Parts: sequence; structure tokens; C-alpha cells
Amino acid sequence: MVNQFPSWEFFDWQVFAFIDEAFMGSDSYFKLVENNVIDEITGTILLIGLVLVAFSKEKVEDEFISKIRVESLVWATYVNYAVLLVSILFVYGGAFFSVLIFNLFTILFFFIIRFNWMLHKSAKTLVDEK
Amino acid sequence: MKNSIKVERAKKGITQAKLAELVKVSRQTINAIELGKYNLSTSLALKMASIFACEVSNIFELEEEDWE
Repeated sequence: MVNQFPSWEFFDWQVFAFIDEAFMGSDSYFKLVENNVIDEITGTILLIGLVLVAFSKEKVEDEFISKIRVESLVWATYVNYAVLLVSILFVYGGAFFSVLIFNLFTILFFFIIRFNWMLHKSAKTLVDEK
Repeated sequence: MKNSIKVERAKKGITQAKLAELVKVSRQTINAIELGKYNLSTSLALKMASIFACEVSNIFELEEEDWE
């Protein structure tokens, strides 16, 4: 369910692992292990990209914008854990593991959406004046 | 908190955008303050007073519900 990345052999690298938990046999600690790194690359790019989009400063980053930012971050945290709670109660099997992985990133998604929505809303209420 | 920014702006003949530029904030911020949706910081209030050449208390006024 989770590991549906294409398994191109080009991406099978020797990587250094703090922990490599084996499904069978013994676990490895602080050793080089063989691993397909597509998921590592995808995760890294996604994470850096989301953080840059989420926390880059606005053109004019003033106290009001900062307040919207902080409020949105708190809001995103609540929503993210609400989604997690619903998932814990109603999602089972392999799908639940997928939810856990998605949940790592959705907090930033929720933040970005809510922050930009609030910015958009406060820009829209600007009274037209000469 | 009541404010008379709109009146002060009219006296001085400047737009929200111009005031925003003078006190170095976004136009959204000036708008939110004028509409009473955002409680601004002390330093921004002092900057505004300095632009309008008056006291902070001339621009901003406490209301009954601010004490609750």
C-alpha cells in the first residue's frame, strides 16, 4: 500500500543508516545498507519545497501578517490532529500507515492553504479608494 | 478600541496605501486597523501618531468592552 514507488534499479544505492529494521533476520545499526532512494529524494524535495512555500516572508511582512501566520499555524495543527484522530478511529490496515505518512506533510498543506486564504480575504476587504 | 485614522487621513489627504508606506506596513494592515479588526502594536501606534503629528490618544480611544 505504502511502497508503490517505481523500483528503478538506478536508484538502488548504498546508504548509511542509523537504524535499518529488517523484516526478517537481525536489525542493522550505523551501517551501510542497500536501499532504493526514490522515497528519500521525493520526501526531501517535498519537505524543503513545502517549508519554503510556507515560511518565506511576504513582500511586506508586518505585525498583522505575522499574526495571521501564527494563527494559521495553530489552526493547521488543530486540523491536522483532528484528521489524525478520525483516521485512528476509522482507518485500518495498510491504509492507516499511509495516513500516518501523509499526516507528516498535511500540516504544512493546511497551513499554506489557510494562511493564503486569510491573506486573500483581508486583501479583498480593502475599501476602494482613490 | 475606536480609532479616527480615517478622519486623520482625510485631514492630511493621504490614502490607506500612502499611510501604509509611511509607517512601513501592508495596506491590509491599515485596513484591518481602521475597521477595528486588528489590535495594533504600541510601536505602530506611536509611528502613526508621529505621522499625524498628534498624540496616540487622539487617534485611538478605549471603549467600554476593552475593559472586560
